[in-house]
Amino acid sequence: MNTLRGIDVHNKARMDEETTDMALFVRTSKEDLLDWKRQRIVDALVKETLIDIDTAEEISKEVEIQIIDYQIKVVTAPLIRELVDAKLIERGLEQARKMHTRLGVPLYDVDQLILNPNKENANVPHGPEATNLTLAEMIKKEYALLNVFSQEIGDAHMHGDIHIHDLGFIDRPYCSGQSLEYIKRFGLNLPNSLSIAKPAKHPEVLLAHMVKFAAALQSNFAGAIGWDAVNLFFAPYLVGLRDEEVRQLAQMLVFEFSQQAVARGGQAIFTDINLYWEIPKHFEDVPAIGPGGTYTGKPYGYYLEEAQRFVWFLFDVFKEGDGVGRPFFFPKPLVHITEKFFQTEGHEAFLNHICDIASEKGNTYFVFDRGDTAKISECCRLSFKLEDSDLEDAKEPWKMRYTALQNITLNLPRMGYLAKGDDTKLYSNISDFMEMAVQAHLQKKAFIEKLLSLKEKGPLALLTMDKDGSPYLRMHRATYLIGMLGLNELVKIHTGEELDHSETALKFGLKIIAHMKLLVDKFTKKHGMRFVLEQTPAESTAYRFAKLDLRYHSPESGHIVKGDISKVEVYYTNSTYLPVSSRMNPIERVRKEGLFHPLIEAGALTHIWLGEARPSKESLANLVTKTFKRTLNDQIAFSPEFTTCSSCGKTARGLMEKCRYCGSGEVEGITRITGYFTKTSSWNKGKIGELHERFRNQGFFKDGESDIINIRQKSH
Amino acid sequence: MGSVKIFWKSNCSKCPSAKSVGSILEEEGIKVAIFDLDTVNGLAEGAYYSVMATPTMIIEDEESNQIADFRGTVPTAQEVQKLIGRYYQ
Repeated sequence: MNTLRGIDVHNKARMDEETTDMALFVRTSKEDLLDWKRQRIVDALVKETLIDIDTAEEISKEVEIQIIDYQIKVVTAPLIRELVDAKLIERGLEQARKMHTRLGVPLYDVDQLILNPNKENANVPHGPEATNLTLAEMIKKEYALLNVFSQEIGDAHMHGDIHIHDLGFIDRPYCSGQSLEYIKRFGLNLPNSLSIAKPAKHPEVLLAHMVKFAAALQSNFAGAIGWDAVNLFFAPYLVGLRDEEVRQLAQMLVFEFSQQAVARGGQAIFTDINLYWEIPKHFEDVPAIGPGGTYTGKPYGYYLEEAQRFVWFLFDVFKEGDGVGRPFFFPKPLVHITEKFFQTEGHEAFLNHICDIASEKGNTYFVFDRGDTAKISECCRLSFKLEDSDLEDAKEPWKMRYTALQNITLNLPRMGYLAKGDDTKLYSNISDFMEMAVQAHLQKKAFIEKLLSLKEKGPLALLTMDKDGSPYLRMHRATYLIGMLGLNELVKIHTGEELDHSETALKFGLKIIAHMKLLVDKFTKKHGMRFVLEQTPAESTAYRFAKLDLRYHSPESGHIVKGDISKVEVYYTNSTYLPVSSRMNPIERVRKEGLFHPLIEAGALTHIWLGEARPSKESLANLVTKTFKRTLNDQIAFSPEFTTCSSCGKTARGLMEKCRYCGSGEVEGITRITGYFTKTSSWNKGKIGELHERFRNQGFFKDGESDIINIRQKSH
Repeated sequence: MGSVKIFWKSNCSKCPSAKSVGSILEEEGIKVAIFDLDTVNGLAEGAYYSVMATPTMIIEDEESNQIADFRGTVPTAQEVQKLIGRYYQ
């Protein structure tokens, strides 16, 4: 006799096949025990799939008998679903099985997640909030691959031909750029908020609004939240304040954004603040908004002094570092270097000031806007070049809201393995992979539009709020990013040389990216959407692609991937970078990497790893000036390394195993992982492999400062 | 003797005259290479030479060292010949 919870269900079921009220309790995912009802299987199949009711009935009966026959002690809803899915497969009903899939996480994985840190994103700390984030991401990833993207695209991602970034945030756009003017003008009046705040009257309140709004945006975007011309838009609130007060506000701003590790998933908000020494040309004559959201009667051109005071003090705060002198990880300060910068009084002193911080703490990003170009930067290197319509919007700056809807990275070395040295095949692979990326963008766009169409009742209510005649998220201005990873390795596979080995290899690399650039232009025309190339930061993708290629393209890939294979600390070189281990001087790196930048419209960056070196501010200022005037490099950042000791609390220069001051082994390394600083203990294995191989330029800065002025214009 | 590289685009009004200068130079025995920036080869070569305006003319010696460049402007054939001549004096 089969008994379950003391009740004979076997015979009863056999006697009366229509019985649906067996006393069989099922643990459901809704934290309750339900009486067994076979009809629930039928109902679920009819509701969730397209199969006919007779088949559903048949399956439910077979599953019922199976459960009884197996004498299963604890029947759970996931188990029933799996048994039903097996029956669907037996009948060849693949599509129905897919529709009936249960998304979830194995018990073992949850256990591991709760106990161990997640290293996919070094900006996620370890804690209950982070676990929630990771678990939610795992389910949403599965959902995205099953329900948002086609099987072909899902498979391409799983196999590592392409990487769809932030799949765990499938129901949000990727990243955003905005203007303080929005909250200055409209206050904080967000959908579903418990209270409404009118426009701020005081600078501290404006800062509070900015931080709250950033947190709200972080809940609606997967990645970075960028702010345009922060020092300028604060300026009308700073008139008449004493230096001490402005300095205090600067300190509050930096600490507020660096200590937001209580928001989504315990993550700090990935914040970029765009800063200017001059008044950007497109804001000069724009009427300024001041306290209370009212016009001050003066244009922004009038507020140069306040804007400069604020930006100077912001960098004072960055120089000092946090409470124990460590560099701030966020917000990231991006200073725009423009033609007008060099025409604005005091620029030499300011450039020295921000270079001092670049050398001491590494925070400063130097963004080069040459000619008439104006940009808003966000994320690790992503920037939007302002078009004519944007410059028109700049007259009402709250309209300047931008988004990149999604980021897809192509596995360039994979294309190389598949082409086997054949040029035609290689270019055709690139076209095929890019076509896949475009399809993935179309599919995500359709999904986001579906969510947005639900307006204030939908999950993206915040992005549909309409205060100025158009929704907060301006879909017509969205960009769709196509990134690349491992150009250096692709060139090696195809030509036998790495990018830094010869001018021929470098030129071949340029040809690949030129081909991609012409293709994105073609897709833009064809679909009426802005597809743009971006240098993907690829914090975990560089590792993932290398590992997958070791699986699928061995033994060839074993000679190509970088890092230490024995420790699985493997990686591909990011985007279009020259190898990180290349012992070239920083000037050559800035120039050669900069050759790719005009082809990569959505932003590019050159890292200069400083290690323990602490170059003089003048020498860095010299390099920055020459980079602006004599190269086409888009953006540079200098990355020092630090060791911070949790025993004595001191921070020393360089990465060390023991504290330089007290000898303790309780130390933590800090340096830039991709486009932001973080603790090295949180890095994934691929990035650790890269860290070991980075060439630090120490000798150059110590001994060869005079070389810095020798950027050659014609060194081809 | 030196060589000349000319970068052009189809929607550029000054580009035809740059190409004409190229033809004259070629007749004078100077090696001229013409790159269409709307093609992969042209765009890649243009990126290598940091071409940001059309037409661009780069004048080099035999070892590919740059002698002079014209970006967004068109020199006369005589100007180019003079620059090359002066370089080799």
